Amino acid sequence: MTDVDSLDRRLERLTDADLARGLDIFRERLGAAGAAWLQTCVHCGLCAESCHYFLADGETASIPAHKLEQVAAGFRGRFTLAGRLAPALVGARPFDRALARAWVEAAFGRCSTCGRFPYVAAVLRAARATLTELGLIPADLQQIVTTALETGNNMAITREDWLDTLQWIEEETQTAVGDPAARIPVDKHGANILFTVNPREPKFFPLGLQASATVFHAAGEDWTVAGEGWDLTNYGLFSGDNAQAGAIARNLLDSMERLGCRTLVIGECGHGFAAARWEAAEWLRQRPAFRIISFLELMEEYFRQGRLRVDPARVTDRVTLHDPCNLVRQGGVSEPQRAILRRCVTDFVEMTPHGAENFFGGGGGGQLAMAEYRHQRLQAGGVKAEQIRATGARIVAAPCHNCIDQLMELNREYKLGVRVMTVAEIVSEALVPPAATPAKESHEPAG
Amino acid sequence: MSAPEGLRLGVVACAAASGLALAWQLWRTRSFGLRPPRAAPAGSAWRGLLYAFGPGMSPAAKESTRAHPVVYALGVSYHLGIFTAIGVLARLTLGATAPTSVPRAVALVLLAAGTCGGAALLARRAGSSRLRAFSVPDDYLSNLLATAFVALAAASLLAPAAAPAFLVASMLLLVWTPLGKIRHCLFFFAARGHLGRHYGRRGAFPPGLGGRTH
Repeated sequence: MTDVDSLDRRLERLTDADLARGLDIFRERLGAAGAAWLQTCVHCGLCAESCHYFLADGETASIPAHKLEQVAAGFRGRFTLAGRLAPALVGARPFDRALARAWVEAAFGRCSTCGRFPYVAAVLRAARATLTELGLIPADLQQIVTTALETGNNMAITREDWLDTLQWIEEETQTAVGDPAARIPVDKHGANILFTVNPREPKFFPLGLQASATVFHAAGEDWTVAGEGWDLTNYGLFSGDNAQAGAIARNLLDSMERLGCRTLVIGECGHGFAAARWEAAEWLRQRPAFRIISFLELMEEYFRQGRLRVDPARVTDRVTLHDPCNLVRQGGVSEPQRAILRRCVTDFVEMTPHGAENFFGGGGGGQLAMAEYRHQRLQAGGVKAEQIRATGARIVAAPCHNCIDQLMELNREYKLGVRVMTVAEIVSEALVPPAATPAKESHEPAG
Repeated sequence: MSAPEGLRLGVVACAAASGLALAWQLWRTRSFGLRPPRAAPAGSAWRGLLYAFGPGMSPAAKESTRAHPVVYALGVSYHLGIFTAIGVLARLTLGATAPTSVPRAVALVLLAAGTCGGAALLARRAGSSRLRAFSVPDDYLSNLLATAFVALAAASLLAPAAAPAFLVASMLLLVWTPLGKIRHCLFFFAARGHLGRHYGRRGAFPPGLGGRTH
């Protein structure tokens, strides 16, 4: 698949057998719950004003019910009696090239991770799975999945570069905390915590990784990162291909089994958390034998256990918090980050609305990876930008790297003049470091 | 067999057929795969279920309805009218004695409100280009059938001569129920139940505890 291999050409190549197979794939991916949801929407349209895409562009095509209707029309045409007997009456359509194109627009072209109207996300993911199987997935999104499958991480970072970066960050951390014993252990067998990382950190945001290392050092944690199988991201969640998503998720589980760690900690990443914590067990059809938690939950545990000492006077700028969809609405992690920020800053303000009702940043759901939809993504992000501006905050805490990328773009586009930080970076700024101890171990990876 | 008796039997037959068709649809939907979740829970599916069918239904908890109080009120009155009309139909079909004045007055108020609610929602759909853009003929037909059902229930209470028309409208509604969008009367409960269990397990329902480790 190449850039010149346009959607038109790919649609043209589909045979009738392909299209018939498409709905079989959809049925298999949808499941009973999704099928029930597709027969529940009554087209009341109340969802419109809750969608940031619709608020930004006012287009009917952005209304969640409209997106769902594109998918439901194909469903009815094949799987309901009235849809087969009187398709025009019930709005049923055959799954032909025109409808496949409408599915591409509905499932890939706009936000697909809606938690406000639950299960829209799951239905659209089933549609994405169908389109991916038919070769209609945007090429740049599939490329990220392929890179992760081929190299073990979505940015093709080599093991050598990864270890070099860790060593560099370790030295920076030692300097920052004034403790030559501060370490980033690699492949430490039997460690309590295996910490996983978004490749954006070693590649573009090393201070994020340093902040995490600083927190672990301050908490006196027995932790490690893996030399292989360390990437927490999983764009298979966005492509809908469960086999590929499962293979990517397997990397983390294999690292846990290889190193014999007790808890798998997912760094600050919304979709990475949802993929590892909630979906991996379904993709791999097995429940992991260990605990999987977000780094936010772990940091909150440290605070409750008295393992971190902070001085909020170190962060006096007003701070607000973004709620990543896959972490909060879909993932169920909404309170730890708030509890942490209330401890670490003097002026924390919530956005309006916030928590499960917060507006989506616009970068998730794989949107950030699909260049062809950049204009819609930035336009939809205007709602988030105005939310941020209304808080008067100087710092936006965003516990998700896709969200951070989108927020940084919005920061430039809408001239917000804010700093976008992970929660760990804010904790790290507020930390009162423990007393330094002498160095006693080298950096070389164990095993 | 008298004409009213024939109509009553017709209603019973249509209700039975509708019930069977809905049961078949539920079975068919289950055949898409139930997939019990495997990931370790972070919260309680039962608490999520109770929330989904309890506080989670209130406008305070539902952003979309909170932002549209008038449409929400119309929807509530419409559904109260439909439930009342079902009661009137049951009474008429079973040949129960006529209601006393107070229940009759309450029923008439609910039926009038339901008729107004249904008609207003139909007018809203017809008058909104945004809604029309993703509406299908079934959206109008289902509303018309249900609103007529409620209005004729009220008429049958006011004038027994309207009872045959009410019974005919009931049969049409019952026949269309498993075919059109009115089948959400069944799938709403399945979907809402799934919602509660799904987000309850994830610790997202009820809101406020999300992600706190214990």
